[in-house]
Amino acid sequence: MTALLEVSGLTRRFGGVIAVDRLDLRVASGETLGVIGPNGAGKSTLVGLLAGALRPDGGRIVLAGRDVTGLRAPARARLGIGRTHQVPRPFRRMTVLENLLLGQVYGARTRGMAAARREGMAILERTGLADVAGEPAGSLPLLRLKRLELARALALRPRLLLLDEIGAGLIESELPELIELIRSLRAEVESVLVIEHVVEVIQACADRVAVLDWGRRLVEGTPAEVLRDPEVAAVYLGTTAVGPRAAGGGGAAHSEPAERSGPRAQPPPRPRPAEPAASRTRPVALALPPAEPLLRVEEVAVRYGAVRALQGVSIEVRRGEIVTLLGANGAGKTTAARAISGMVPLAAGEVRYAGERIDGCRPDRIAGLGIAHCLEGRHIFADLTVRENLELGGRNAPDRAELRRRLASVHELFPMLAERGGHSGALLSGGQQQMLAIGRALMAAPELVIFDEISLGLAPVVVDRLYQALAEVNRRGVAMLVIEQNVERGLALADRAYVLEKGRVALHGPPAAIRTDPRLLALYVGTAGME
Amino acid sequence: MSRAGHGAALEAPPRRSAARTGSAVALLAGALLLALATPVTGEYTQQVGFRMLEYAALGQAWNLLGGYGGLVSLGSAAFIGIGAYTTAELTNHGLPLLPGMIVSGAFAALFAALVSPALFRLRGLYFTIGTLALAEALRLFMVNYNGLGGNIGIFLTSAAPTTAGLYRLALGVAAAATGLVALLLRTRLSLALRAVRDDEDVARQLGLVSFRTKLLAFTLAAFLMGVVGGLQAGKLSQIEPYGSFGLQWTVDVVTVVLIGGLGTIGGPLLGAVFTVALAEWLNAYPSLHLAITGAIVIVVVRFAPRGLWGLLADGWARLRPERAPP
Repeated sequence: MTALLEVSGLTRRFGGVIAVDRLDLRVASGETLGVIGPNGAGKSTLVGLLAGALRPDGGRIVLAGRDVTGLRAPARARLGIGRTHQVPRPFRRMTVLENLLLGQVYGARTRGMAAARREGMAILERTGLADVAGEPAGSLPLLRLKRLELARALALRPRLLLLDEIGAGLIESELPELIELIRSLRAEVESVLVIEHVVEVIQACADRVAVLDWGRRLVEGTPAEVLRDPEVAAVYLGTTAVGPRAAGGGGAAHSEPAERSGPRAQPPPRPRPAEPAASRTRPVALALPPAEPLLRVEEVAVRYGAVRALQGVSIEVRRGEIVTLLGANGAGKTTAARAISGMVPLAAGEVRYAGERIDGCRPDRIAGLGIAHCLEGRHIFADLTVRENLELGGRNAPDRAELRRRLASVHELFPMLAERGGHSGALLSGGQQQMLAIGRALMAAPELVIFDEISLGLAPVVVDRLYQALAEVNRRGVAMLVIEQNVERGLALADRAYVLEKGRVALHGPPAAIRTDPRLLALYVGTAGME
Repeated sequence: MSRAGHGAALEAPPRRSAARTGSAVALLAGALLLALATPVTGEYTQQVGFRMLEYAALGQAWNLLGGYGGLVSLGSAAFIGIGAYTTAELTNHGLPLLPGMIVSGAFAALFAALVSPALFRLRGLYFTIGTLALAEALRLFMVNYNGLGGNIGIFLTSAAPTTAGLYRLALGVAAAATGLVALLLRTRLSLALRAVRDDEDVARQLGLVSFRTKLLAFTLAAFLMGVVGGLQAGKLSQIEPYGSFGLQWTVDVVTVVLIGGLGTIGGPLLGAVFTVALAEWLNAYPSLHLAITGAIVIVVVRFAPRGLWGLLADGWARLRPERAPP
C-alpha cells in the first residue's frame, strides 16, 4: 500500500522538555492507525505538528508524496489534513452549522453557501447534532462539543483525519456508537489517525497501532499484538524493567539494580530503599484514635454536565499516611482531588477533614484548614521569582520568622530552589518547576498535601528525586494523597492505595495486595491485554 | 451517537443574516426620508444630525473590525486624522470635497495596510494596546513635524460647504458605510471574521488564511474612518493635530458601538443617535455628561451586552411570540 503520510525524524521541544523525539511514523492509504501511549507521551503534540498548529524543531512530514513540513496550518487544511482537539475549541458565538461552514467554504472550497449549508446539515445529521444546528456552539455540553469537533473536521472533507481522544469521557454504552461512526468514515476519508485511551475503540477501529512513549515510537503492530506486548503493559503500568526508559534513567544511584525478569516479578526499587520500615513509625499517628481519619471522603459524586466524573467514591487518609490514587486517564483522579480541595462542587456525598465537614467550603477556606493542593500542571507564577513563588505559598505564616523557618525547610529539601531563588519561575526546567510547585505547597505548612501527577512529562531520574522528597516530607509527619498514573511508583510510596475506574473505586488496600491483583492490568489497558 | 432530531433536521435553520439585511434596507429607507426632509429642518437640527451621521459611519467601521472580527482597535483617531489632513491638503489644492474624502479614505487604508504586518503579530489585548500606541505616536509626530503645520495645523482655504450640504454628504457616507458593511456580512467574510474572533488558531486549521481576513477588515475600516475624517475637515476652517488625532474620537466611537450594540448592523446607528443626543441634552454640563455616559456604558455592557439594538430585537421577538425560536 502507498503511504498517505510519512513522518521521519519529527522532533518538537517545549523549553527543556522533548515532547516528540525523532519520531518515524507511516500511515498507509486506506488505513486507520491507532496511536496510544501514557500521558505526556507526545500524542497530542504529534497531532498539532501534523496539522501545522505547532512548528517542528526537526524532521519531515510528507503527505501523499509532497513535503508539507514548511506549510502553515491553512495550507495543510486545504491539502486535506483535518483534526479534532482533545479539549473542544468551538467557535462559541457562532451557530453549530456555521462552525462547519467555515471549513467547507475556506478549507474544502465548497462553491456557494447554499451547497455548503446542505452538506453541513448532512454531516450534522450523521454526527447527531442536527437538532442543535441553529444553536450557538457555546451553549452545547461537553460531549456534544466533542461531536462538533468531529463534525467540523469532516466538513473539511479531509484525506487524513486526526482524531485526538474523542472517546474520552463517554460512558460505556456510548462507545459502540462512536466505534460505528469512526468505522463509517472509511468510505469517505482516505486514512485516519486515532489517538485514544479507550482501548475498545482502538481494538475495534485500528488496522495497526503505534505505541508512543517519551515522544518516541515504542512498538507497532496489530491491535491484538500490541495489547499483548509486555512492553506496552510496562509503559501503561510503569513497570519499566524493560524498554528504553529503564536503560536511560532508571540506573540512578539510589535504586538497586533493576534486573527483573518480568513486569511484576518482584517489588520495584522503592524511592527510599535505605529506610527500614521501623523508621517510619509516626508518633503523631499513634497518639490519635484510629477511628478518626484525617480526611474522609464519603460516597462522593461529581458531574460535569452530563458526564459522571465520580460516583460513590469513598477515600480515607489517616494522619501521617501516604495514600495513592491510581487509575487510567479519565478515571476521575484529578476530579477527586479537586472535589476535596473545593474546586468542583459535589453532586452527592460529603468530605470531612479532621472530623469537620468541608464540602461546600471555598477553596481558600479549605487551604486555610491545612490541606495544600499541588495542582496538575505545576501552575508556577511565571512573572514571579522562585523565592516569591515560595513566599506566596507561605502567606499564612504568622510572622517573618516562621516564614524564614519554612523557607529554610523547603530549601533543605530542594537546595536548587535556594540557588535559583532570584530566577524567574518560567526559566526553570520542567523538573525544577515541579520541585517549586511541591515546595510552594509545603510552604503553607499543611497537615495534608494532595499531589496531582507530579511525574507528568518528567524524566525518570527526576521523578525518582521527587519521590524521594515526598518520602522525606512524609517522615516529617505530613499526610499525603498522591495521584499517579505510574502504578509502580505510586504503590512503592504508598501505605495504602485506591484504584479508580470510570469514576468509581475499583480496588483499594495495601500496595502488596493491589500489585498482585489480576484486575489491575485489566483496569489499565482494558480486558484485551489479559487474554 | 444518537440520531436525535430527524424529521425536519435536513432543513437548515433560518438565516439570521436575512433578517439583518432586511433591517438594513429599512434603515436605508429611513435615511432617504431624512434626506428628503432636509429643507424643512433647521440649521441646529442639521448640525446635530451631521454629528450623529458621522458617528454612525465611524461606528459601522469600528463594528466591522471590533464587533464582528474581535479586533478591538483603539487606533481610530489615527485614520480619522489622516483623512482630515489629506482632505485639507487636497481641497487647498483645488480638489472638491467629495473626491478629496474618497482619496483620504484610500490614504488611510494604505496606511493601515502598511502597519498591519506589525500589528497583526499582536493578539487580543496586545493588539488593542498596539493600535493605541500607534495612534498616539502618530499624533505626537504630527504635533512635532513642521511639514504639515506642526501644532498649529492647516487652514482650509477653499469655500466651506453649507450646513445642509454637509448634512446630505454625511447622510450619504453613513448610508454607504451601513450598506457596505451589511453587504459584506452577507458574504463568507462574515463567517471568517466571526471565526477569527472566536478562535483564530482553529480557524487557520480549517483552511482560513486569517491574515487576509484581518487585513481586509482593517483596511476597510480604515478607509471608512478616513472618509469621515475628510468629511470632518470639510466642516472646519482649520485642522490641528490635537483635534484630528485626538483620543476623544477613539473613545467616542467605542462608546457609540458599545451602547448601540456590538456586532449588530443597527447598533452603530442607534448608538450614534443616542450618544449625540445625550451630549446635546447635557451640553451645559460637560463633566456630568462624561460621568453619565460612562455609567451608561457600564450598565449596558453588564446587563445588555448586545446594546440598545439587542434590547429592541428581543422586544420585537417577544411581540411576535409565534415566530420566536423555541
